[in-house]
Amino acid sequence: MDRRQFIKDIFLWSAGASLAVPHFRILPSALAAEKPPALLSLARGEDYAALVAQVLAPLGGIENFVRPGDKVVIKPNIGWDRSPEQAANTHPLVVKALAAQALQAGAEKVLVFDRTCNEERRCYVNSGIEKAIRELDDKRVRIEHVDRRKFVPIKISRGKSLSEWEIYKDALDCDCYINVPVAKHHGLSRLTLGLKNSMGVLGGNRGSLHQNLGQNLADLATVIRPKLTVIDATRILLRSGPQGGDLKDVKKTDTLLASADPVAADAYATTLFDLKPDAIESTLAAYKMGLGEMDLDKIQVLTA
Amino acid sequence: MSSPGKRIPVYVWRRFGQSLFFAFFLFLFIKTDYSGSDELTYAVNILFRIDPLLAFCAWLAGKAVIALMLPALITLGLTFVFGRFFCGWVCPMGTLIDGSRFLFPHGRQNFSPAWRRLKYYLLFFLLVASFAGLPLAGYVDPFSLLVRGLTFAVHPALDHALTSFFTFTYQQGPDWLNALTEPVYEILKKHILPFRPKVYALSIFSSLLLSAVIGLSLLERRFFCRNVCPLGGLLALVARFSPFRLQGGSTECGKCRQCRKVCRMGAIDEERNIAGADCTLCLDCLEFCPAGRIHFTWTGRRNAVQPTGITRRAFVATVATGFLAPLVLPSRTLARRADSALIRPPGALAEKEFLGRCVRCGECMKVCIGNALHAAWLEGGFEGVFTPRLAGRIGYCEYNCTLCGQVCPTGAISKLSVSEKHATIIGRAFFDKNRCLPYAKGIPCIVCEEHCPTPDKAIKFRESPVMNSRGEVVVVRQPYVIDELCIGCGICENKCPLSGESAVIVTSEGESRHAGYAGADGY
Ligand code: SF4
Ligand code: SF4
Repeated sequence: MDRRQFIKDIFLWSAGASLAVPHFRILPSALAAEKPPALLSLARGEDYAALVAQVLAPLGGIENFVRPGDKVVIKPNIGWDRSPEQAANTHPLVVKALAAQALQAGAEKVLVFDRTCNEERRCYVNSGIEKAIRELDDKRVRIEHVDRRKFVPIKISRGKSLSEWEIYKDALDCDCYINVPVAKHHGLSRLTLGLKNSMGVLGGNRGSLHQNLGQNLADLATVIRPKLTVIDATRILLRSGPQGGDLKDVKKTDTLLASADPVAADAYATTLFDLKPDAIESTLAAYKMGLGEMDLDKIQVLTA
Repeated sequence: MSSPGKRIPVYVWRRFGQSLFFAFFLFLFIKTDYSGSDELTYAVNILFRIDPLLAFCAWLAGKAVIALMLPALITLGLTFVFGRFFCGWVCPMGTLIDGSRFLFPHGRQNFSPAWRRLKYYLLFFLLVASFAGLPLAGYVDPFSLLVRGLTFAVHPALDHALTSFFTFTYQQGPDWLNALTEPVYEILKKHILPFRPKVYALSIFSSLLLSAVIGLSLLERRFFCRNVCPLGGLLALVARFSPFRLQGGSTECGKCRQCRKVCRMGAIDEERNIAGADCTLCLDCLEFCPAGRIHFTWTGRRNAVQPTGITRRAFVATVATGFLAPLVLPSRTLARRADSALIRPPGALAEKEFLGRCVRCGECMKVCIGNALHAAWLEGGFEGVFTPRLAGRIGYCEYNCTLCGQVCPTGAISKLSVSEKHATIIGRAFFDKNRCLPYAKGIPCIVCEEHCPTPDKAIKFRESPVMNSRGEVVVVRQPYVIDELCIGCGICENKCPLSGESAVIVTSEGESRHAGYAGADGY
């Protein structure tokens, strides 16, 4: 895997200096060699701010993911014009605590963003995430609206269904990409979890991805590679997802999951909804492509 | 005044005043946007609410006094005392016309005084027609013309130009240049440009109308204000009685006629009388009279009220036209069945009342954060041009947003609370099964269901076996609409990923403002 060359390519493309679409090569052998034992950490508690540090501790703490001087991207779900209680977006306290952790670990820059579904400003405000990040009052952390100029076409060479898509430059061009989805119901894919949350860094007509959603998400997961996935299940939306809107559909579960393995994180989160991991097509497709572990017996759950 | 060298010329004060009002206008214009809370902070519609032309037309059309428009009486009262200061100092259209004078350096003077009456006839016609059921004031009101031109064309064009420039520097420029340009772009984006690029129906047409108003100055200075503007006409009628005015020149005062030459309104006659109806108090004559004879003073009753030149015949003809023209309206097909593609903003009054009140100011379309509201063409009839309609494939109505009702200066769109808004039905979606992927091709999709914002989704789906293009029978989720839940926001139409026409389309069917009243006359 030649990450450095890849980042250089992205830079050249977006600077107009190269017409060749950037290409991210990860060889199956590299994947196999790299594949860490599927560790998954689970923490329960009502103090969501403290819960973040707690869930990361068994994985070696944030320091295991963020090195001093790193450029960090935190990608929550800010997709909908809904309040935190309505459980359509990642909980602001979780995002804030995660950003604070990254800063503590010495990150040089922490960027938070999402390409929203409803009007951007309303989503940022009403999700409570914009305010939460501003409260950190640290120059190194920024919450930004997506800048259309920054979508770069990326070749997806291992893709079975997709061969190219526009991806937000900052999500690729960083040292540590942290995916922070909220776990919730979804009409088409049944649940939206980590892999689905990656859609927030995509340009183009995202709706068309739904036509083969599971495989498309798995294909995208070959290029969009979070170092860490933290799944917010502090409260989960059981019906009428992904937006909800009725508090009767929300269940308080006070849970956070974290893993370096994006597939394992999704697989385990599925069980919170009393479903089997293979009920989610994207999890299954990604597992089949060797992108992570889905077999619950092979995922080591560390309770923090 | 003792040392004339240091005195600030009065026209400088006037220009300062004009600039100040214009800046205030632009400020309000920019602020007509979501700003981080559900309630708008600035009363951006204030300009329209002090416009007595629009107030009277809306009142006559609705046969009721709309409290929102009461501030217009203040303008009228001040004009009664001080004359047409509004045109010379406040009106942003006047300022724009003055400010673009450098484009027409050789504008002729005194085109033909008979043209002045046009604005009065226009005024009478608009007032009477409004009363009789044909509300057209918004077509020619200066604020409406200006705000539409700016909203639909100028602001988006500025955005496009600057964004193209900064995209170029971003992609092609070296790092040191970007270190300079990017912060500038960020500031512009934050404070001046629209948050996201916007598009508008009738944008070119609106910019042409605005250009025409300015371009008329080619014929003579402030041609529009002198001869066309019906608001100017109304103010002129009142200003004729104002006790404070400019005077001082006379037949004996000299041969220079400097005052006549500088007057932008052609308000000074051969005898050096200054007509209260035409004078906009720009004070140029006061400044440039070599003898310093002209002053702004109390003239009280001594001051004869000058004639307007309106002939009785023309007056009667105008009023008659105003009454008769609306009589042809019921002859249109629209009278039998309303255009189902005409979806009004949430909170819009019932159609007839709505048309009477809507002053075509474009504020709702400016503020619409979903870029859903667009100027109608003939969907609502001739009297509906420039009124707002929702264009679902271009933009959609944001579920929790209530901004259009907050900016509407006349209450044509009523102000709704968020929960009232959630319960307001503006239309209803239906599926085109010949296009919708799960029906037509057996391909999974339901992006529409994903985006449907009602807590109990108005779009639901059922699993059905379908034969796909390869002849295989697959089970897909097929969406359908629950009419009772659908509010017609249009997000489904907007987000449907098909490349052409959407497979789910919203029509005005079921809109709550008519309560069971489909079409204008379903009989
Ligand atoms: S989004 Fe369009 S194509 Fe897809 S299911 Fe809905 S209507 Fe059909
Ligand atoms: S218009 Fe479409 S998205 Fe809006 S409520 Fe109706 S079905 Fe739902």
